[in-house]
Amino acid sequence: MAGLVPPGTAIPADASKTAHTKADEKIDYMNLPCPIPYEEIHREALMSLKPETFEGLRFDFTKGLNQKFSLSHSVLMGPTELPSQSGETIKIPTAHYEFGANFIDPNLMLIGRMLTDGRLNARVKWDLTDNLTVKANAQLTNEPHMSHCMVNFDYKGKDYRSQFQMGNAALFGASYIQSVTPHLSLGGEVFWAGQHRKSGVGYAGRYETDKMVATGQVASTGMVALSYVQKVSEKVSLATDFMYNYMSRDVTASVGYDYILRQSRLRGKIDSNGCTAAYLEERLNMGLNFILSAEIDHKKNDYKFGFGLTVG
Amino acid sequence: MATKVSLKSKGKGGKGSKGSDEKSTVQCLKEWSTWAVKKAKVVTHYGFIPLVIIIGMNSDPKPQLYQLLSPV
Repeated sequence: MAGLVPPGTAIPADASKTAHTKADEKIDYMNLPCPIPYEEIHREALMSLKPETFEGLRFDFTKGLNQKFSLSHSVLMGPTELPSQSGETIKIPTAHYEFGANFIDPNLMLIGRMLTDGRLNARVKWDLTDNLTVKANAQLTNEPHMSHCMVNFDYKGKDYRSQFQMGNAALFGASYIQSVTPHLSLGGEVFWAGQHRKSGVGYAGRYETDKMVATGQVASTGMVALSYVQKVSEKVSLATDFMYNYMSRDVTASVGYDYILRQSRLRGKIDSNGCTAAYLEERLNMGLNFILSAEIDHKKNDYKFGFGLTVG
Repeated sequence: MATKVSLKSKGKGGKGSKGSDEKSTVQCLKEWSTWAVKKAKVVTHYGFIPLVIIIGMNSDPKPQLYQLLSPV
């Protein structure tokens, strides 16, 4: 069917589609695009379905000193949840101030955030060469044995990416993702946790076109995660996510939407655990953003509402 | 050298003490690496943000010192 109509002649609409598929069939397997990194495989679904909801007041002020260097001051006042043994959620009102310094260069990115209780959050990303990148992420606290650090070495090839990571407490991991066709990329990962003597293997696949992204991930820890994002138009995209743990028999499905409008961005989702969330960012003026966040958990009777302002 | 040879010839006793020598090297290494990691953690905890500020203040175009503190 594809061979009937030669391309280039004046062709009606449905025959032009067959000419198009004929051109598409000649995929150049030597020139596949570079896939997105393995840990970002669910990126579109996470952006739509898991906005950073918060509770209370949030005020962020970012002051740029030059193109690359900026300081940020952030105030957060609100209840924080404490992990509790019983099903009830225990919340304690806290207020903290966070000071941050960011240095963003094409080759080197340094982000540091320091809280009033002495916790430091540091992120470093260093492009050693065009293809090799070193990333480090650390959360340091004053309490002993509560600090974490993770270092990643990423190598980007022509149509593949590989990553090796090391963490504190003898955590090692490696992942590899390869573009198999212009739309499909497949990858796998291995990890080994020294302290808990656990190791695991996982596989993931991602199929994307201009209009949709579908991803699937399986891991030997028992997790199966599938997601599908459809870009309905320039401004609207819909996403759905399904997570199943076959060891603990836990299932969660969620559906959400993402409206990217000229002056605002609205994201909402509803969950099979009876949890609905919404997040609105409204651009009041150049550099001034107003944020509203809401998360209602009907099952646990936990209601979180937050509002905030971001300057700069 | 001579002492080592005589220890070897003692048989089990010799082997035991040589074994404990090896163990202490590995233990030494572990202790030093733990000490180094602890010191590195303290240095990072106090020095990371000043490091970012120093690198930022020395980048082009060089910002002024008052800009660091003023809210404008």
